Amino acid sequence: MSTPLVVAATVVAVALAVLGGLSTALRRRIGTAHLAGVGLLELLLVAQAVVTVVAMAGGHRPAELATFLAYLVSVVLLPVAGLLWARTEPTRWAGTVVGVAGLAVAVMLWRLLDLWEVTGA
Amino acid sequence: MPDQDALGGPPPEPTSATADTARGPGRVLVAVYGVFALAAGARAAVQLAVQFDEAPLAYLLSALAAVVYVAATIGLARGGRGGRRTALVACAVELAGVLVVGTLSLADPAAFPDDTVWSGYGQGYGFIPLALPVLGLLWLRHQSEVADRRG
Repeated sequence: MSTPLVVAATVVAVALAVLGGLSTALRRRIGTAHLAGVGLLELLLVAQAVVTVVAMAGGHRPAELATFLAYLVSVVLLPVAGLLWARTEPTRWAGTVVGVAGLAVAVMLWRLLDLWEVTGA
Repeated sequence: MPDQDALGGPPPEPTSATADTARGPGRVLVAVYGVFALAAGARAAVQLAVQFDEAPLAYLLSALAAVVYVAATIGLARGGRGGRRTALVACAVELAGVLVVGTLSLADPAAFPDDTVWSGYGQGYGFIPLALPVLGLLWLRHQSEVADRRG
């Protein structure tokens, strides 16, 4: 995994959570800003997944391989799932749903990095 | 959905007092439950498959927690009388679970060598596992009242 990519994705994910909370506080639905935020986050997450898979093909093996892979797949799918779940919500709460997905991604990324750095014998 | 306004337009006027557990704040609740169903499910699956012998009790509890989160997510997302009942049972089991396991894990740490979602009242997960069933039960009570008023 690439730490700079994790940091960049975390910044975007937290910004997305703030944006989502803001639109809920302002009683607004989600708009293009949320869409762009999710798109950018997804781009960074896919790049991260590719870098990670390449490193694993090169021989890097996290000790808890199964957990690591489950989290890696989940973290890529989460923003998409959050956006799909939010877009059918016509009220201001849609923003909070996107925000929850953003925060969950931020937490999972650092958990992933922890798992990545512990390698087996 | 994309609006001219980057932050999105104002929400439409509420059309009717719909008793739906997956609307409004309920949608956020389902999202959080979904994340926990995913996290607890993945964790339990790995623990049961790879290292079951190390701490069977903790891992079975992880599996139970995962099942409860999945049931609550589905119940809240489906809504209606049946969905509310499913979610009510799931939230009640969840609250009991987090209180019992939380207390036991502090009283007898040796019995829980490896953490579950409910250890230390959900400490490892920002105490969200403790807050979630309470919010879920409050939301379900509110939705039942709305449904009753509609008759």
